[in-house]
Amino acid sequence: MPDLLFCSHYPFSRQAKDAVSDSGAELSYSLVEKAEQRLSNALVSGKIKKLADLPSAQQEELAVYAVCRMIASAANNRYIINRYAVAEAKRAGEYLASDEGARPEYIQEVAGEFGIKLVAQGKNFALPLSSYLSFTPRSIDYKLTNREVEKGMVLVSAHERLRILEEAVKKRIEGSLPIRAKFSEEVQEAAKRMLTLIPKLEIAATKVGQENYPPCIKKLLEDLSLSINLPHTARVALAIYLVNAGATTDKIVDYFRGAPDFSEKTTRYQVEHIRTRKYNMPSCSTMDSYGICIAECRCGTPLRYRDAMHGARLRRIEAEKKD
Amino acid sequence: MDEKIAEPQTHHAPRTPEEEFLRRKFSSYYAKAPLTVLKPESREFGFGGWEKKIEFRHIRVRNEGELRTRLVNEAPLYISHSVAYYEFPDARPMVKKNWLSADLVFDLDAAEHSCGKFTCTHCMEKVKQEAQQLIEEFLLSDFGFSKSELSINFSGSRGYHVHVRSDAVASLDREARREIADYVTGTGLLFDRLFWKDGKKFFGPKPTQGGFGGKFARAFLKRLDDEEFALSISRKLKKQEERDKLRSSIQQGNYDNIGIANREEKLQDKFLQMKLTLAGRIDANVTADTSKLIRMADSLHGGSGFAAKTVQTLDDFEPMRDAPIFNEGELKVKVTEAVPALAIRDFSFGPYSPGATATLPMACAVYLLCKKAAVLA
Repeated sequence: MPDLLFCSHYPFSRQAKDAVSDSGAELSYSLVEKAEQRLSNALVSGKIKKLADLPSAQQEELAVYAVCRMIASAANNRYIINRYAVAEAKRAGEYLASDEGARPEYIQEVAGEFGIKLVAQGKNFALPLSSYLSFTPRSIDYKLTNREVEKGMVLVSAHERLRILEEAVKKRIEGSLPIRAKFSEEVQEAAKRMLTLIPKLEIAATKVGQENYPPCIKKLLEDLSLSINLPHTARVALAIYLVNAGATTDKIVDYFRGAPDFSEKTTRYQVEHIRTRKYNMPSCSTMDSYGICIAECRCGTPLRYRDAMHGARLRRIEAEKKD
Repeated sequence: MDEKIAEPQTHHAPRTPEEEFLRRKFSSYYAKAPLTVLKPESREFGFGGWEKKIEFRHIRVRNEGELRTRLVNEAPLYISHSVAYYEFPDARPMVKKNWLSADLVFDLDAAEHSCGKFTCTHCMEKVKQEAQQLIEEFLLSDFGFSKSELSINFSGSRGYHVHVRSDAVASLDREARREIADYVTGTGLLFDRLFWKDGKKFFGPKPTQGGFGGKFARAFLKRLDDEEFALSISRKLKKQEERDKLRSSIQQGNYDNIGIANREEKLQDKFLQMKLTLAGRIDANVTADTSKLIRMADSLHGGSGFAAKTVQTLDDFEPMRDAPIFNEGELKVKVTEAVPALAIRDFSFGPYSPGATATLPMACAVYLLCKKAAVLA
């Protein structure tokens, strides 16, 4: 017998998958409707509501989750898939936090789902280096350099281990979608409605003034417009650059609208924070160590790119004159 | 030995007699050389010539036999292969190769402390120590790889390559590998993350702990034996009792139980200084690059004529003794630029002024030809 409570909390798990296929639930109109609701909540608010832990609701929730995946697949759009994955991961994160006290065995089981071996060490946990590197969010908080690393194991706090599992959930969902299949008409109709929920990016407006941006910054902007999830370090670097390039906060926030986990409030707060604290632009070598330097412009910092390029052009013109 | 080495159809200038000579030598080596590259059929190969270390890339071989045939026939002056394993190693652009996994590699080079074009034993010794530090303190101790997962080879010039072949890291992406490289080089290491204030107390890493924190604590405790070092932290540490007191407190992670003036500033200062010696010196870009082409172990380096020898025990390896492999015969060469005093396989030669001619043991002559510091006389 599948543990329905576990399955409903963690519908991406193998156990949940088996439970759905065993139940042989029929695709009904109400199921598609509920799935559409779940998906549109994810797209609009970035959140998926948790339901009461009732056995009848649990079985249905599993089916709803499966249909959500179908709709997202039928929509076949990176923004929808990534933003949905973020919302599902957040939902799972909330359950992980509540299950930590009440049903600690669930945490181990979710970890096992991703092949993550968690070893308790006092209040903390150790996990294998490869799992750590595969599933930690790329942010300065998780920089390996500042971690306790020993014999191939990395130490994390109890809270961090939940955050890592949440990231693993996000990666699994992102990676497993879209499913290639033929979907029913109802699902395809729902998918069409989902596509209308994608915020319209004013592509033309965001292009203005970009011609002088260095390649790394252009690439980050392009990734954002494709709803690719940028690591934290990349977002900070981009925001610092834009602040220094004279972009208004509104404009910068607009650029970030493409991010699959976009939250206007958080973005606005962070951009303002960067502006008032006068954050320094990371140097090219720092950008490189973040893995977001993509060209060898030899300008020292992305902020000098424009001058460096203009300088090079001027020198070239001078040289040509001499010839 | 007289058959001509196949010349690919290109628009290059005709080969010089020196290049022809070296290619013939290299070809004879490859006829019998150990080919130690793992799964050659899944790698992309790159061949280099007189002008460029990688002239041709996206080369695929079906098996070891084909690799040997090509090496004997074409005798490239440099041979490198991808750290990655691909489904279609010769496909282009890169994405079509279908990346499957990759070795994790570390590149150590003496270039940083190098004194010039010619090999300097002092620099070579230094880089060997750095390779040892990388292996002992990072790869085995911190990352927990086993010795059997590591394979070390001389670069053929002035460095070493360490290849890690472990399922645990084979599928890591660029970003994850960048984290590993940053860890080894101490990039992004922050004092504030390892030390913190708690009321009047000042805490930091314990010597028993893993990571850079533990490395620092252990090194710091050791350095306290040095009176000059101790006094630069506090005059109070002139007394042995005070030193012992501080030392036992650091064992518990408490860095100040003796009242150090400006302790935060001083500790941070020491931390920044010591971080440099605790960190490894590797080329981080090589480690992070999942499609890097790297010199094939046991192939010849066209800039020295030395073999990129697989090394069993670093301690026992002497590059200037073990890497030269053309150890038969002599050759007369004419030196074309100033060459300092050198020693290869215990044979001392030089210094030479431009224009000098000398009949040298083959390895020394090949070395000067490869350095483009001499021509056939």
